Amino acid sequence: MDTTINPNNMPHISEASVSVEIETEDMTLNIGPQHPSTHGVLRLVAKVDGEKISSVEPVLGYMHRGYEKLAEVRTYPQITTLVNRIDWVSGFANEIPFIAATEKLMEIDVPERAQHIRLILTEMARIASHFVFNGAYALEIGALTPIFLAMEDRERVLDLIESVTGGRFHPNFNRIGGVKPAAGAGPTTKKDIQDLPAGFYEETKIVMEKVLEGVDRFENLVGGNEVFRVRTKNVGIITKEMAEDYGVSGPILRASGVKFDLRSHTDFLPYDKFDFEIPVGENGDCYDRWYVRLVEMRESAKIILQAIDSMPSGPLQTKVPKVIKVPKGQSYVRTENPKGEMGFHVISEGGLGPYRLKIRTPSFSNISILPELLEGQLLPDLIAIMGSLDFVLGDVDR
Amino acid sequence: MRNKLNQSDSQSFIDSLSSKFTNIVNEFDTLKINIEPSQWTETMAELKNEFGLTYFSWLSAIDWENEVAVGDPPKEPVSPHFEIICCLSESIEGNLVLVSTKVEKENPSIDSLVSIYAGSNWHEREAYEMFGIDFANHPNLTKIYLPDGYEGNPMLKSFELISREVKPWPGDVDVEGMPEEGNKEGES
Repeated sequence: MDTTINPNNMPHISEASVSVEIETEDMTLNIGPQHPSTHGVLRLVAKVDGEKISSVEPVLGYMHRGYEKLAEVRTYPQITTLVNRIDWVSGFANEIPFIAATEKLMEIDVPERAQHIRLILTEMARIASHFVFNGAYALEIGALTPIFLAMEDRERVLDLIESVTGGRFHPNFNRIGGVKPAAGAGPTTKKDIQDLPAGFYEETKIVMEKVLEGVDRFENLVGGNEVFRVRTKNVGIITKEMAEDYGVSGPILRASGVKFDLRSHTDFLPYDKFDFEIPVGENGDCYDRWYVRLVEMRESAKIILQAIDSMPSGPLQTKVPKVIKVPKGQSYVRTENPKGEMGFHVISEGGLGPYRLKIRTPSFSNISILPELLEGQLLPDLIAIMGSLDFVLGDVDR
Repeated sequence: MRNKLNQSDSQSFIDSLSSKFTNIVNEFDTLKINIEPSQWTETMAELKNEFGLTYFSWLSAIDWENEVAVGDPPKEPVSPHFEIICCLSESIEGNLVLVSTKVEKENPSIDSLVSIYAGSNWHEREAYEMFGIDFANHPNLTKIYLPDGYEGNPMLKSFELISREVKPWPGDVDVEGMPEEGNKEGES
């Protein structure tokens, strides 16, 4: 018996129209707050029509710790411990703008050596943060291997930070007027205070070579992957105007073609002494955002190697009063955090703590673009786009 | 490549602003324009379109109040008001300006900037929940961090930190016990 069906013998089927528009209801999809791709506790309420996203509403606040309020009841030296914990992937970089804003108000000049140490550790924090991004982003796209390589590479950098500050994530190393003596520096006396641990320069040179190797490896392993390129190229395009309108900063803004790096506008860290490039993207898509960060790691390693070679000698601390009182005034200082513009607006009324402290964090502004950016995108691209923004929830919620 | 901002550039930027705005303060490298709340939106549009301040950095408020539940009160008595501050910047040159205005404490309200800078959306929602400031014409003025049923505006100076009321913060000891100075001011 012949059981094959020939459509030509079934006119009622061949004539049937296949272009029927099926009316489907929008489905509400709740993503998070406990979802690996949200880097913490971000919740997204997405309305989806099939695979297409019609609207997204981020729900924040699961990590809100009220640092702005807490800062009003703390003294200036105590606030450094708070700001460490805003963006915990790059703890050291958070301290700089707060300390610099306070120093501006107190009109303190920081010794050159302390400035260099701050700069080196900030760039190390940037490398560590970008390694986390590189590993995690590849993981989100579907490649498992890079996260292990990234964590290994990053650990070497964290070890360096730890050898100087005593902490991997929360160094709390800056003091108003300078930096504290290093953890691994051995016994210190009042006369002879050592700052960097023995062998730090040699060790840093070795680690930076490894970092550069690691970056090359990532460029081949991740950037050369066809799946990765297809998933990220021309996906989630942020235009220059859109980025500036939302206050999107850091590598994301530069990936959109805006050459805006606050490192070139600082007068409290000696970036002007070093040669480095500011990588800029063209399309503003996920791939560019990934690539800009990758190149930035090379530039950071370059800066660190230059800074080590030109390390000035001298004191670590300016003389500051034992009880730090900041004169009345307002100062806003921002720096280039690995995630973007991080700024502190310190409003002092001459007391032991600030009257008000406004914390401007990069991730908060960076993800405020999500509702507009994700509208009309496909659901699988949501993960690729969110990952490319590289946010940390502590940095979003403060 | 040396990327250092040229000092004369920022000076010419300040000069161009001074020709337009009368109430400019430049202290501690922070440029601040004080304007009237009625000029809020038109000033922002002007700064964006004519002065090239296309990058929206942040918006927030300060509660100026003499009687405070937390922290220290202002040194000299102030007339209680909210100061709303918006930070704008050039995206390439990096010149930055704070725009400040004062609003009343009774039914504080100001026009929303969302139609000019889309990024102000979340910042205004934060100021709304933290200070209770109303932003007129905001598309979705709801709480952003705090849970739905939350009452009160935590960043007000009259808002107490409950845990601190129950148990004084142990960190106070650090300030009191400073050697030589005998300073007792940390007891706030």
